[in-house]
Amino acid sequence: MHGGAPPVKGAFDRTLLSLAASNRRHVTRPVVALHAAYRVSEPDLIARVVAGDRIAARELYDAHAPRVFRLAYRLTGDTALAREFTQDTFVRAFAQLARFRGDSALSTWLHRITVTVVANAMRKVKRFRERETDLEDIAPEHTDDMVDPVLRDRLHRAIDELPEIYRTTIIMHDIEGYTHTEIAEVLGVAAGTCKSRLSQARAQLRAALADLAPEREI
Amino acid sequence: MKDEQFEKLLRDAAHTYHRPPEPPLDDMWAEIVERSNGGTGEREKGGATARWRSLTTWIALAATLVIGIAIGRTSTRSGTQSPKPSAPASPLAVAPPEPSLRLDTALSSPYEAETSKYLGQATALLMALPSEVKTGRADDQFLARAGDLLTTTRLLLDSPAANDGSMRALLEDLELVLAQVVRLQDNHSRTELDLVNQALEQRDVIPRLRTAAADLSAD
Repeated sequence: MHGGAPPVKGAFDRTLLSLAASNRRHVTRPVVALHAAYRVSEPDLIARVVAGDRIAARELYDAHAPRVFRLAYRLTGDTALAREFTQDTFVRAFAQLARFRGDSALSTWLHRITVTVVANAMRKVKRFRERETDLEDIAPEHTDDMVDPVLRDRLHRAIDELPEIYRTTIIMHDIEGYTHTEIAEVLGVAAGTCKSRLSQARAQLRAALADLAPEREI
Repeated sequence: MKDEQFEKLLRDAAHTYHRPPEPPLDDMWAEIVERSNGGTGEREKGGATARWRSLTTWIALAATLVIGIAIGRTSTRSGTQSPKPSAPASPLAVAPPEPSLRLDTALSSPYEAETSKYLGQATALLMALPSEVKTGRADDQFLARAGDLLTTTRLLLDSPAANDGSMRALLEDLELVLAQVVRLQDNHSRTELDLVNQALEQRDVIPRLRTAAADLSAD
């Protein structure tokens, strides 16, 4: 089943994957290397899934669902929507997996589906829910990196109000840590376009915070 | 705003903007499997509803199995070589069995005639099920027909008609379907019937049943 690789306990594997799926800035190389040593090759896994192997399907899901969910949540800010869009992504992915040609990484392909699913669904939503500021909810994880809560909230609102192409780009790059190349593949644009969009997004955020910045320290 | 201030603010956003909770992996997986098998993805709560959802799911899945087998049987009869079935649309979906159903050539004609008649009746009943459910007319007479067919199914399972592996598989599938239909008798509320109809429509069962019936009648 694992192509000669040592068997991996599900919980242990999931723990590693969970770590790997967390913000890549916090992923340590040993964790990635350890996981890579145990991982079944992705083409083998895909072949097994396409052949109807449900256990393989679950393995593939476990490997990618945390990151897909994170992306969906970052884009929607809503647990129920993120959950629904993650499910949509995998239902579509499993239905179309036989047609996956491997031109890009599976993760890229999955994230492309995720972004499409989210964008299509959110267009149908008349407007985002009014963001309710809950300082407990948005309290940072690292207290030594505190910033002015008002500035933070203004930034969050400004991100929410960005045009979709800019918002998606800045969330993927600055919030989730995707590279320009990865974003370009997911969004189907040139890497230069991605950089341009990021620059535009940041400029718009700066403009949105301009009235607060002079009188507040971050 | 200074660049370093803005960068710091963005770094903070990576920790605070729409900070994702722990993903509910198992719950999402259950939904994905359900939807890949043709469910709506809206998991209802409550024992009765859940039980009915399970019941209707089995009915629809089994009906789909019957259609697949019937189509295979028809194409075998007409002498066309069925292509190797492709992989299911989703690896999580329940794929119909290989359409290789064929009456045992050594089967005596009385059994063959009886089995053929029975298959026609079973197909007709399963085709009628959605409309019966839609109009709320899944009455005792209808359910009694299902009961009679269930009895016939079990008799055929114990007869030479079931000597052929493919035929046995079909009869066993039909036994499951008909048993589920008969169970409608115990829970006959409009809401429950609507749920049956909803499940059948969402699985596109009715058009498939009509296609199968047309193929059989043209045979």
